[in-house]
Amino acid sequence: MSVTSMPLPRSARALRLELKRNAVPYVLPLLAAVFYFNTLRTADGFPPVWTLRASVIGDHMLFEFSAFAGGLAAWAGSREGRRKTLDLVATTSRAAWARLSTALAGTLCWLLLAFLAGVAVVYIQTALQATWGGPPLWPVFVGAAGVTAVTVIGFTCGVVFPGRFTAPLVAVGVLVLDQAGLRAALGVVGPPGTYGLLSPSNSPPVVDTGVYHYVAPDLSVVQVMFMGGIAVALFGVLGLALGLRPLALAGGLRSLPAAFARGDGWLLRAVTVVLIACGVAASWTAFALAGTARLDAAGGWQIPALHSAASDQPVPVTQSCTSSSGFQVCVHQAFSFYLDDVAAALDPVVAEIAGLPGAPARAEEVASVSGGNPVMSGISGNPPVFEFTAEHVGSMFGEFNGIPDAAAWRGGFQQGLLDAFLEGPPQLAGPVPLDAAQQAVEDVLLTAAGSQPLGASSGQTAVNGKLGAATPADISAAAQRFAALSPSARHAWLAVHLTSLRAGTITLAQIP
Amino acid sequence: MNVVLTGIHRSFGKNKAVDGVDLQLGTGVFGLLGPNGAGKTSLLRMLATVLPPSSGEILLLGRDPRRPAGRRETRRRLGYLPQNLGYYPSFTVVEFIEYFALLKEMPSSAVPKAVATAVERVDLGAKAKAKLRTLSGGMLRRVGIAQAIVNDPGLLLLDEPTAGLDPEQRVQFRALMRSLGESATVVVSTHLVEDVGAACSEVALMSAGKLVFRGTPGELTARGEGHGVGDAPLERGYSAVLSAARS
Repeated sequence: MSVTSMPLPRSARALRLELKRNAVPYVLPLLAAVFYFNTLRTADGFPPVWTLRASVIGDHMLFEFSAFAGGLAAWAGSREGRRKTLDLVATTSRAAWARLSTALAGTLCWLLLAFLAGVAVVYIQTALQATWGGPPLWPVFVGAAGVTAVTVIGFTCGVVFPGRFTAPLVAVGVLVLDQAGLRAALGVVGPPGTYGLLSPSNSPPVVDTGVYHYVAPDLSVVQVMFMGGIAVALFGVLGLALGLRPLALAGGLRSLPAAFARGDGWLLRAVTVVLIACGVAASWTAFALAGTARLDAAGGWQIPALHSAASDQPVPVTQSCTSSSGFQVCVHQAFSFYLDDVAAALDPVVAEIAGLPGAPARAEEVASVSGGNPVMSGISGNPPVFEFTAEHVGSMFGEFNGIPDAAAWRGGFQQGLLDAFLEGPPQLAGPVPLDAAQQAVEDVLLTAAGSQPLGASSGQTAVNGKLGAATPADISAAAQRFAALSPSARHAWLAVHLTSLRAGTITLAQIP
Repeated sequence: MNVVLTGIHRSFGKNKAVDGVDLQLGTGVFGLLGPNGAGKTSLLRMLATVLPPSSGEILLLGRDPRRPAGRRETRRRLGYLPQNLGYYPSFTVVEFIEYFALLKEMPSSAVPKAVATAVERVDLGAKAKAKLRTLSGGMLRRVGIAQAIVNDPGLLLLDEPTAGLDPEQRVQFRALMRSLGESATVVVSTHLVEDVGAACSEVALMSAGKLVFRGTPGELTARGEGHGVGDAPLERGYSAVLSAARS
């Protein structure tokens, strides 16, 4: 036979045993499969922008890890009760708290290792695709705090309510809590407000979060404090767990003397009480701080007591530009992966309107949020510049959502520019309703640029009231007439009538 | 004296499991006999420091286990084999025994040798790396004995230690008990009077929570001469003492 001969300290030897015989590794293949289908594929659908990709840690990864972590920790925590070794281990001199802590540490190490490995996969994938920035660490801290909190909760449940059904019940409970909405649950606890922000699961941010403005860590700090407080408090509860178990199972207060007789001395009990108090205080403080959260100018959340003015400064913008066809298109370096797509979409339509009054001299990507409000794409300035946002390019036209129809995205983006051009500055981009004449002209220009007209077929002709009675057939007929003109004739007509067209005083019949 | 019990009582609700037991034990193998429900296991659990007495004084290995420091010191030198051994199926034999050696706070450097010795003493060397889930009931019993003796205890408490062992193993184990009893107090709670006769230097009989007999196996046998029922002399002594206690 052979036994270990490494001169490891006692705690390290015990931890090694717990790591070696832990249940987590047996579940890792299943966890990896869920991670692939839920987290990794979702992240892959996002543009390779660090903040956006990192949002899957709270929204997807923590969700799947929580269920596994809760269940597996409850399984580990209930071991002594399930396997009926309570008396046997109770006769040993090592403090029960130390013994349980080692078992908890074994489970937590595996879960955190798996969690960090998952984060590493997401981040390596992002690093291979991203063109700007670096990995944000706060989402990792929040995720790790979440996994830790759920693990300690599950373990404590297992210790206090040992049984073979404890683990599945805890796992299902965590799933239900996640699905039913921790945010909603938190909202119920206090008066309506921002307490739901304590949940690490939030809506995906806008695509350029963290690109034009720093992401203030205020919310992450509060989330870590909240979940860390829960973990610390319950870790303290574990010190009293052997006393709580008989209370929970049968005895009520009559079991209290026996429970204390099994305790580990006043010093350990004092430490557990201090830990519980500190944990509760931390969580309560975080809860109170979350109630003071308010939206900042960049669309994120700031908490006045924690906020640093340094995070309000805009991030220095570094642009990537191209002007291969003479029309300069610039995007933030973080989005340079779609620069060629944007330029290829804009060039033909810009060629159709080049030289006309108000035609953009260049196109530039700007921040999606400014002053706390969403920024709308449009043409402004002198010389005119077509300003578009990554949010519009990505979310509105599907560039970031994995929509395989590149032509549809191209047409949609071209329409965004033409909408802004035909409406005149300052107007909205995207699929805004034009009047019938504007729509007919836009359809012709889109066709000339090589895209499928979108407006007439979708019937977006409601508009300014003057020409609202036009039917798609009327618009189509006018568009056919206008398309029959030579490009130079169309250009010349537009040069003369563009002001009237923008003002909405041109009727379909007036289109040549 | 390694064990000093004075007026020990233990009740569960209205049921008196142990009712005024006084006992002093030095080194040697001490057999604890009695019918089901006599209070043997409760007494053993109190000696194992997992069950506090309702009243009475208790000193184990010269320390008061009601005080945390005394309890901890006692437990370092305690070995306990419960009647129903719980175990972790995914642990190997060595890992399980090592786990308990660590829980008993043995010096880390001494653990490997102590584990190896314990495994050899229960003749499980060939199964040292086997997972516990693969072992038979008798082998598991030997694992339980190994974890109890791994720390070379000053007080060894064995509840039905030979249950599940085959005759050959039982003989070996009795020899082991005698060997351990030379330097430690070994308390054996059992239904098997032949174990007592073969291994114990002293025996006590419990009935309804009280000690109704204490003496050598020979003295117990003598009580059965002309009285009692049973195939073996010791069994006749056992039944005679019980009958007298009940009447």
